Amino acid sequence: MDDLAQRLMVELECETVFTIPVFGGIAISEAVVVTWIVMAVLILASILLTRNLKVDHISKRQAVAELIVTKLDGLVSGMMCEEGKIYVPYLITVLIYIGISNIIGLFGFKPPTKDLTVTVTLAVMSIVLVEAAGIYHNGVKKWLHKFIEPVAIVTPINILEVVTKPLSLCMRLFGNVLGAFVIMELIKMVVPYVLPAVFSMYFDLFDGLLQAYVFVFLTSLYLNEAIE
Amino acid sequence: MLKVDFVNMAIMVVNLLVLLIALRIFLFKPVQNIIAKRQEEADKQIREAQESKSEAEELKTKYEQTLTDAENEKKQVLSEARKTADAEYHKIIEDAQKTADQVKADACAEAEEQKAQIIRKAEKEIADMVVEAAVKVVGEKSGAKADDALYNKFLGKAGDEV
Repeated sequence: MDDLAQRLMVELECETVFTIPVFGGIAISEAVVVTWIVMAVLILASILLTRNLKVDHISKRQAVAELIVTKLDGLVSGMMCEEGKIYVPYLITVLIYIGISNIIGLFGFKPPTKDLTVTVTLAVMSIVLVEAAGIYHNGVKKWLHKFIEPVAIVTPINILEVVTKPLSLCMRLFGNVLGAFVIMELIKMVVPYVLPAVFSMYFDLFDGLLQAYVFVFLTSLYLNEAIE
Repeated sequence: MLKVDFVNMAIMVVNLLVLLIALRIFLFKPVQNIIAKRQEEADKQIREAQESKSEAEELKTKYEQTLTDAENEKKQVLSEARKTADAEYHKIIEDAQKTADQVKADACAEAEEQKAQIIRKAEKEIADMVVEAAVKVVGEKSGAKADDALYNKFLGKAGDEV
């Protein structure tokens, strides 16, 4: 048991892969390196998929690219109000990034979303975007006025929401990935064969993609709320 | 485990923004452009198809109109021809009738004339016969008396002269 706890702690530890020797040394965490790998794969795949696109007689490659883009666009656009369509690319990017990060454990990498720094970053970016969108679409006055809506007495709660929204976002994502990881380790310890594969389908693939969707869905919800 | 590293946060923000821009440039924009272009082309083709359809529709109406016109014209020509033929027929019949009437009338008149002529001839012959008969009768019966009267008359005349 102690052994398992030890192993889990090691797995969960965000290692510093290397240190860039400028500004007194910038420690690059494993999550950032995996993110770079994810980015490289995504960008390369995008470039490969969208090479010489044609209007008709499309190749299978182009069909796949169009399918991915239209499906993702439809999924995210459906969640956004008409004015919020400009945020769709950001939301799709986050969806793809979190989705791939969550399931990249299947390829032997440590999921970046298991690093609290990454989920905090995502949540902070989302809430900054939400508040910025509120100011951009409604003006500072109306944005401030929203804090005393529907009645003035809820103002502290509204202000608190600015913190709790991203907190819940990042903790939900982090907790799910962490929980899934811990449960998978436990299952692997109890039954090392076959069963982990079945549960992995749920915890790694389904839950990973679901959490990506939930994150984007809630962000779009907050965005719609801020814009209207 | 539960530590948040601000340097790595900043790097992650940059990472995500770079990823966003890269995906926009390499994935969203090209695919959306090509889809928009295809949509445009499809719209254009639909529009063209509709245009040709309406054009064909127009042509069809035109041809139908022409056909109807030809039919009407045919009918008109036929009816005119029939009318002309009818008139001609009636005229011919009428002429024939007239000619027949004329012939009949002429024949009648001639017959009448001949009849009158025959009657006249007969009358003349009868009169001649009567005169002849009368002469005969007068010659045989009253010869002496007439001679007497003539004789007496002659005498009386002669006596006055003396």
